[in-house]
Amino acid sequence: MSQNKDVERKRGNRLGFWFFRSALRSFGLRGAYGLLYFVGLYYLIVDRPVVAASLAYLRRRFPEHGTPRQLFDTYRLFVSQGKSLIDRYAVAAGYRGIEVEIRGFDRLSGLLAARDKGFILLTAHVGNWQVAMTALRKFGRTVCLMMRPEDNDAVRDALNIYQAGEEVKIIYTDDSLGGVIEAMRAVNQGSLVSIMGDRTYEFSATEATFLGEEVRFPYGAFSLAAALNCPVVVLLSAKVGVKKYLVDVSHVIAAPPNVRGNRDQEMKDAIQEFAGILEGYVREHPLQWFVFRDVWKSNK
Amino acid sequence: MDNKELELQKIRADLKEMIVRDLSLEDIEPGDIKDDEILFGEGLGLDSLDAVELVVLLQRNFGLEVKNMDQGKEIFYSINTIANYVYDNKAA
Repeated sequence: MSQNKDVERKRGNRLGFWFFRSALRSFGLRGAYGLLYFVGLYYLIVDRPVVAASLAYLRRRFPEHGTPRQLFDTYRLFVSQGKSLIDRYAVAAGYRGIEVEIRGFDRLSGLLAARDKGFILLTAHVGNWQVAMTALRKFGRTVCLMMRPEDNDAVRDALNIYQAGEEVKIIYTDDSLGGVIEAMRAVNQGSLVSIMGDRTYEFSATEATFLGEEVRFPYGAFSLAAALNCPVVVLLSAKVGVKKYLVDVSHVIAAPPNVRGNRDQEMKDAIQEFAGILEGYVREHPLQWFVFRDVWKSNK
Repeated sequence: MDNKELELQKIRADLKEMIVRDLSLEDIEPGDIKDDEILFGEGLGLDSLDAVELVVLLQRNFGLEVKNMDQGKEIFYSINTIANYVYDNKAA
């Protein structure tokens, strides 16, 4: 297993999810959270690749912090991610006690009311996408998730990723056409197509400045938007209370004019705008950036 | 050569011009693309963004849509398969 794949291996196995599921049932949400302080310490000590990847981010986000403080920040990041995973499981299991506020609800509703077609949702590994998907139901449109088949069976099963119903569909990107035909059809039929925008997976990408240095971001979402003549809505979520999340759909980026845009300034500008929005997010919610790899070194 | 084959020949030539131009294929001339060459993965080595371009190309130039992924894979297999699809659906 390459180091990159090791770092990216979802930090969950069936035993781990059984453990948190049991804790949730026995002690409730806060009780399950309490166990994370020990789990976070475990990963801080043993999971060196993930610690290194986390430090790559935290050194840039908190350049004023010395090494001991950054290690503590790493621990807090692990605990934060653990809370998100517990919440994600709870929501997938039908827990209704989490309040969700949607920033940009009226604007997005207006955008949808003005068109029959859907649009592209661009998101990232931040906050809690399960909660974000739940919030999107309020817009009354089918949501399609473009994703590669989950490579960790325990994560897939625990999060019910494949049990998408009528409101949420999955579009796989691992065929030779990358799922783009299905995605284009979905948008033309009025659906919202969600694409992860923080990792290239070796798809076409271009550089943008993020936390002071260049990172390669994929521009496929903007290419699709250009082909469909639809906007790109940035979808981000953040935990803002013990049982409260903020889902932000207030940022809308206009589609660039051309599909093939790696040399076009409009495409670069769109990617930079997205990177700027992500940077604003991590300035506001620094411990909810769950991208556990050094994106400045390689973002494949 | 009958009319059908003449028309298919023209469609194939037009497709190659459009593909080289719209997909920004550097160092490739339209004449370099073989009629039966696999377009995606191996052969010409197109990727998913090229698939987006091809869908748009069919819509804008021929008014044709691709219904789903399975149909897309069949249509976009080679220049021949795209040309046959265009010919069959323009004539329908």
